[in-house]
This record gives sequence, structure tokens and C-alpha cells, in this order.
Amino acid sequence: MIASGAVASGAAGPVDAGPGALRALRALARSATARVVAIRLLSAVPVLWGVSFLTFILLNLLPGDAASSILGLNATPQELAALRAKLGLNEPFFTRYGHWLGGVLSGHLGASLISGQSVSSILSQRIPVTLELIGYAFVLSVAFAVPVAVLSARRPRGIFDRISIWLSMLGLATPNFVLAIVLILVLSVHLNLLPPIGYTSPSADLAGNLKFLLMPAISIAFGLFCAYNRLLRADIVEQLQREDYVVFARAKGIAPRRVLVRHATRNSLFGLITIVAVNAGTLIGATVIIEQIFALPGIGQELISAISQKDVPLVEGIVVVFAVVVVLANLVADLLYAVLDPRIRYGGRGA
Amino acid sequence: MAAGAPELAVPVAARERAVRRHRRVPLELVLPGGFLVVLTAACFLWPLVRSMPGPINGNFIPDLPALSPGHLFGTDPIGNDVFARILYGGRVSLEVGLGVSFLGTVVGGAIGAYAAFKGGIVQAVIMRVLDVFLAFPALVIALVVADNLGKNELDVIWAISFFSIPANARIARAATLRQINQPFMVAARLGGARDGWMLARHVAPNIGPQLLTFSLLGVPVVILIEAALDFLSLGVPPPNPSWGNMISTGYQYLSSDPALVIIPGAFLLVTVMCFNLVGDALRARWDLQ
Amino acid sequence: MSAADAPGPVLAPPPAGERSAGAPLLEVDGLRVTLVARGRQVHAVDGLSYRVAAGQTVAIIGESGSGKTVSSRAVMGLLPPSARVEGHVRFAGVDLVGLPERELRRRRAVDLAIVLQDPARSLDPTMRIGPQITEAIRAHLPLSRRAARERAIELLGRVRIPEPRRRYDDYPHQLSGGMRQRVVIAAALSCNPKLLIADEATTALDVTTQAQIMHLLVELQAELGMALVLISHDLGLAATYTDEVVVMYAGRTMEHAPTRELFHNVRSPYTKALLGAIPRLDRPPHDRLPVVQGRPPDLTRRMQGCPFHLRCPSAAERCAAERPPEVVDPPGHRFACFFPHGEGNLP
Repeated sequence: MIASGAVASGAAGPVDAGPGALRALRALARSATARVVAIRLLSAVPVLWGVSFLTFILLNLLPGDAASSILGLNATPQELAALRAKLGLNEPFFTRYGHWLGGVLSGHLGASLISGQSVSSILSQRIPVTLELIGYAFVLSVAFAVPVAVLSARRPRGIFDRISIWLSMLGLATPNFVLAIVLILVLSVHLNLLPPIGYTSPSADLAGNLKFLLMPAISIAFGLFCAYNRLLRADIVEQLQREDYVVFARAKGIAPRRVLVRHATRNSLFGLITIVAVNAGTLIGATVIIEQIFALPGIGQELISAISQKDVPLVEGIVVVFAVVVVLANLVADLLYAVLDPRIRYGGRGA
Repeated sequence: MAAGAPELAVPVAARERAVRRHRRVPLELVLPGGFLVVLTAACFLWPLVRSMPGPINGNFIPDLPALSPGHLFGTDPIGNDVFARILYGGRVSLEVGLGVSFLGTVVGGAIGAYAAFKGGIVQAVIMRVLDVFLAFPALVIALVVADNLGKNELDVIWAISFFSIPANARIARAATLRQINQPFMVAARLGGARDGWMLARHVAPNIGPQLLTFSLLGVPVVILIEAALDFLSLGVPPPNPSWGNMISTGYQYLSSDPALVIIPGAFLLVTVMCFNLVGDALRARWDLQ
Repeated sequence: MSAADAPGPVLAPPPAGERSAGAPLLEVDGLRVTLVARGRQVHAVDGLSYRVAAGQTVAIIGESGSGKTVSSRAVMGLLPPSARVEGHVRFAGVDLVGLPERELRRRRAVDLAIVLQDPARSLDPTMRIGPQITEAIRAHLPLSRRAARERAIELLGRVRIPEPRRRYDDYPHQLSGGMRQRVVIAAALSCNPKLLIADEATTALDVTTQAQIMHLLVELQAELGMALVLISHDLGLAATYTDEVVVMYAGRTMEHAPTRELFHNVRSPYTKALLGAIPRLDRPPHDRLPVVQGRPPDLTRRMQGCPFHLRCPSAAERCAAERPPEVVDPPGHRFACFFPHGEGNLP
């Protein structure tokens, strides 16, 4: 990319590092990619603010508050009032929101109203589990979807294609929690192959960790696999049938396999990459239910309990992190596209 | 060869479409469509026509296996007839699925069309607000709202509508923008047509089919979300049956009686699949993306 | 030349023995192509016959939808499996119709090559241009990676791409339309084909570039002794560059004659109408350009009469009911019309 080229040239001449760095900075400012990233990140700020504000409103509308969650139903009004005062729940709505927002802007996500633990430490414990689960599911789904889609597109409406189409229809209709239960029933209860519930951290025991996460990952990955398979297969078939460069590649007399893989599939992968990256953001919410079934210590469980306990700072922290991930995932999708597509990578004509 | 490439391309691509149109559609539209009609009729009419055991009385012998006399799908551990619970639970899925889609189409469609139509600041503000909703992970907002509003079917519909409306609004906006630049729209505007008239008379009929297809494709998604909420005990509360909470209760008896999960799970799966098939077939037929 | 033979120098004419004039290299005989579109059959090509010998140029002229492109893809065997191809396409005596894909693949680029209309679309946007040439070379010739690369660079130079060694690593979008078409030509010629089909190869380009590309094609043809089939909608192009012209309309051959004969002695009213639609300097300025009125007929139905009768200025009742037979007059000039002198609409 232009920017990295400029950086490299600056680094090459350590003697005039000053002007070199300046030039690099100027190149960075001029670079289309950097500008796109900056604009996207800036335009995400109001969205993130909106998300946090909306969450605050919603939580404010909930009947009850953290004080009543902590003290339970038998608390006396005096006790409740005391705790509310202590937690700052008696302040007016905007004061509370301003207080929270001020904290965030100065880098503090606050502390859980229930446990008193800091929100950032809860997030840093829980988020990695969820991210690992999502990553695992993505790797599984893409690793299977690409070869299956290519084989299906090789002979549209052939036996393999038909089976794969129906498998995809089935998979798109299967609720992930039902699949999870069926997997537990078959793999754990009947065949006793995998542990149904439990978790070890990857740093302690990577093999054990992957084993514990296998069923949860499959539960999420199957639906994704089906969606990607369908999408990619349709796109490859489209490329094969419509694109002149496929006709021309065939006219050059090269092997059908090469036309399929190197030309049609290669061009179809761009669409898939975008979808995969965009999905990554939205999926973080869908893991909630799977984490619940397999008792995984991810962010999903924390979210459910935080909502029901009206633990406002914790819910805010989780939701904002979710939103940030969505924004970043979309950005990564665009950047990946730019990195992989030569038309964008080498902008402009050289003629 | 101005039309040379398309001229060649059409037959090939059209062949797939042609196959879909002439061979696949009758089977792939009629079969799932038929199932959905039968299911809807069974859920809403059967209890009226034939006397049904109530879904929540619990006055039968518990734990009867499927195909027991009088109990097609057997009974659950509390002594409820599973068949009756499936039918009543199906009402929930269908009502929520169609209700949310209806709300999404009408409200979202109106917002999106209005935004595109007004343009400028109004559009910018509306789209930003929609972005906020869309940046919310789908399940989170449903969790918050479902927990907030209490637990009955209507509230579940509202909860899920929170993100079906923004999604529909986006589609409607894009479709309207495409319409607005059409010559007949410009002509109508030049002819002095008022905004309301333009929206009702020119925009709505033209974006309608697209929106309908989009929300039809959304129905199965909504049904799955509703089931997920029920499964997490955030939707229709037991003892009232829904497919999601039947799976959730059945899960506790998984090793002793897996049918309690498998039967509602299968109904959920087949229903969702049929909606998907019908949606796909219609989309292919109307050539909408 | 089969893949096993030594590849020989880049772009050299074939040995004299193979160039013996007279015996046609390509012989298309009664070609019919039926495509399936939206569940209906389209009779895209309905009886096309022509011959090309080495070093010769034949033009196939027609409007869009006349079947000229479909016929060229049928010759290359590039139609989808759903298409039905009847008749004969003999290349050096071997009928290509019905040959298995494997056999056809072996012949592409080595025997027959094609250049498509839109250079922006015929190159894979995700692949550097060099490898798009070498992949064809390596599929047919026993050359090492390095040798194939050298050959590709030489080919790029031969199609007048400046600094071919540097351009080798460019992506298609970095080149202008004319340059891209040169790359396409280089790829098509990578294995010394004996016949090149230029399927509207200059239509998508601007006028100056069009002329350059046409000159390049003709030059290369002369150097290599290739047979050239020029598919176009442009009669002017045919008049300038070809030995023989086939005029197609709605899948049928309307007129087929040596170029000089055709332009001196136009028989088919359709050809006449096409000629009338060419702008000319000797017309008064701001005069309306005569166009061929109406649209080509629906090819999903088999026509009984002449396909042009609805738009023909000299059509009579007979033209709608009866298919005009092929008439040869004078020898070598074939046409299908009842009223070649325009007398049909006279009472």
C-alpha cells in the first residue's frame, strides 16, 4: 500500500529520519486507505454513543433496579433507600448517564453494581472465551464451506450439488440450540465421545480446551457453513456462467479444474470474505444461547444475568464492546477486501 | 456485438432460472407452502373442530411414549398431551413470526420510504438512529426488551420488532431511492403531486413486492429468535406451551426421553425450512435480490 | 500442431507444407444451434455454412441477436452443455461437433483461438496479465515456467505493448482498453493457433484504438498465415479487411459472397438496408441516417417465411409464408430472397 511504501522509504534512510517520517505522515494523510479508516472510525463514534444511550434508556425503563436485585424481595424500604443512595441510583437520569459517560471518556468502564468488580476486568476474563468460540466456529465453517461449494459448483444440479443444497436448506433451518442438544444427546449421552459441559483455558490445556469447545463451535458453525456454502456456490456458478474471463480461460484450453479454482472461485471469495467479517460482529450476540447450554464462562452468561439484575455499568460495558466489535468487523471486511482485490490495491491506471 | 455477451449469457443463466421456474417451483413452492397451510390450519382450527386435551392441565398419565392411544406424540412428564402442546405452541411461532414481519414491513417500510423521500437532514438523522439499532447485537436488544416488558407473546413481538423494523427500513430506503430517480416519479413531482400522494400512489406500490419478499424471508429468522428467547426463559413463560420452551423443558429430560426435545425441534426445523423454501421460490420468481 | 511437438519459435508461420492453399482449414457446414432460455428453445443459428483457408479472412456480419456470436462459440465448443449443436464444424478435416470436451480442450489455443468483444471482461481481474498468457502456454506446450514467461513477454512485445517485461506483472485494470485487448490477443496467439476468431474484437474500443487493433490483427495474420474469422456488425470493416462476407439475420444466412462481388452486386434487401445505415461523407449534412426499421424477430418460434419480411421494404405475401430458398447467382454469390431486385411490393 502507498502508506507502507512511504514508511519503508523513510526507514531506509536513517540519516534524514526527520523529513522521512514527515513524508511518511504526509503520505499517510494522503493515502486513501488511511482516510477511509479514519472516516469510518469517526462516523462510528455517534453510533457507539447512540448505542450506549439507548441501552441506558432501556435499562432505566426496566422495573426494579440493582438495589432490589441485591437485597431481594424481603428488603425493607429503608434498606433499599440506603443502598440506592450508596450506589448513586437516586440521582436523576441524565446525571447518572453523564457520570457513566464521563468515566468512559476518561477510560474507566466503572464497576459492577452487584459484585463491585471492575467492568473491564470482568470483560477481559469473559470476552476471550466468546471470541475463541466464534473464531473456532468461523474456522470450521469456512474450512468446510469452501471445498464443498467448489465441488458443488463443478457440476451444478449434479448429485453432489443436490445433496449439498439440501444439507444447506436443512442447516439454515436448524436452530443452533436444537443442534447443540442433539449433539449432546448423540456425542455425549449415547457415544460418550465428548464432554457435554465444562471448560479449560487454552493456556492451561490447549487440547482439552479445543475438545470442550468442539460441540459449541459445531453448533454455531453448522448454520454458518450452510450459509457460506450456499452463497459461495451460487456465486461461483454465476461466475462460471456469466463472466467472459471464464469463457476466455476455457478458450485458452486450460484445464477445467484450473478455470474453476483459479478463476471462478478466486473471484467469488471476495464476497465471502466480506460476509464472514460482517457476520463476526453480529454473531457475538448469538453465542449467548450456546454458552448457556454448554455452561461456558463467556460474555453471554454474564450479559443475561447482568440484564436481569439491572447491573447497568456491566450491561453498558458489554453492549458497547459488542457494538465496537460490530463496527470493527465491518471495517476489517472493507480493508480485507481492499487488500485482497488488486483493483483496489493498485488504484489508478498505469498506462 | 453490443448485445453479444448478454445474448450468450442469458440462455445459460436463464436455464437455471428456467429450471427453477418450470420444474422446481411446482414442487418446491407447493410442497412447503402446502405444509405451512396445513400447519396453520391445524394450529388454529383443529382445536375448534375436534375436542382437544388442553395443553396445560396436566391431567393425563405422565411420560407416555409417542403413538400411545389418544396421544399421538405421547405425554410429557407433567402429564400434558404433547400433540396439543405442539399445536398451541405452533400458534405462538406463527403469530410472532408473521406479527413481527408485519410490523417490520409496515413501520420499517414507512420510515425507510419517508427517509429516502425527505432526503437531507431528516434522512441523515433517521439513518443514524437506524445504525444505532443495527449496531446492537440482535439478541441483546431482544433480551433487554423481553426482560423489560414482562413475558407474554405480544411483548415478544415488540421485542423482536426492535430490530426487524430498522432492517426493513434500510431496504425500503434503498428501494425508494431507486424509485425516486425514475422518470415517472420526476414527472409526477413536476406535475405538482403532493408528498403524501406520491408516497401512497407511486412509492408504496413499487417498493411493496421487494419489502414483502424481504419480510417473508425474515419470518423464519424471527421464528428462530422467538424460540431462542423461549429457550432462555425470556419469552412465553411456561406452563403455556411454545416450541422454544418445550425444547427447554425437554432438555431437562434429555437422557430419559429425548422425544420431548426432538418433536418440537423437528416442528421448528421443518416450519423454518418451509418458510425458507417458499421465500426462496418467490424471490426467484420475482427476480428480486 | 499437437502438444508433444516442439513449440518452435514464437509466432512463426507454419511450414509451407501445411499452408497448401485450396483445402479449407475450417469448414462450417449446415450449423444449427438451439439454446434453452427461460424454458423455451431459441433457434439461435439456423443453417450456417462457410469455409476459411489458411491466410484467408471471412467476415460474419449481423445485428446483435443474429446468431453470429453463438455461431463463433459453437465453433470453439464453448457453448453451455444445454445448447444443442447440429451440423458439422470440420477443422483440418476433423469434425469438432460431438468431440469430447477433452479433445476440444487440446485443440483450443493450438488450433483455434478466439478474441472476445470486451477486453475489460475477458481478463481475470484478480490475476496479473503475464500468468494469464503463460497458463495457456503451459497447458499446451512443454515449456518450463521460465521459458513460458519469456515466451509471454515476447508475445506482449509482438502485440506492441511497450516495456513488456515490466507490464508482465500488471493487473488488467492498470491497462487501457486497447492495451487489454492486445493482452487478450497475445493470450489467444500464445500457442500459434491456425485460426483466430475475432468476435467483435474492436467494438468496445474507441475509434482510433479500433483501427490500431484491426491493423495489428491483419498484420499478425499475414505474418502467421492464420485464417481469420471476423465477427462484426460493421459492414465497413468487412469491406476493408476480408475476402468473403456472410450476412446473417435472425440465425439465418441472408447473403454469402466474396467481398468484392457482394459490394458490387448486393442482392439481399437486408444487406442493402445494412449498407444504407452506414454514415457516408457524400450524404448531405444533417440528413436523417436511414436505419433498419423495426426489431429482429422472436427466435423462440420457428419462422415459416423469410425472417426479414416484417422489416423488408420489398416484401410480398409470399415472403411471410415460404422460406426463400438459397439462390446462387452469379456463381459464388449465394443469397436467400425471392425478390433480389426489390420488385416484391410491386402490384
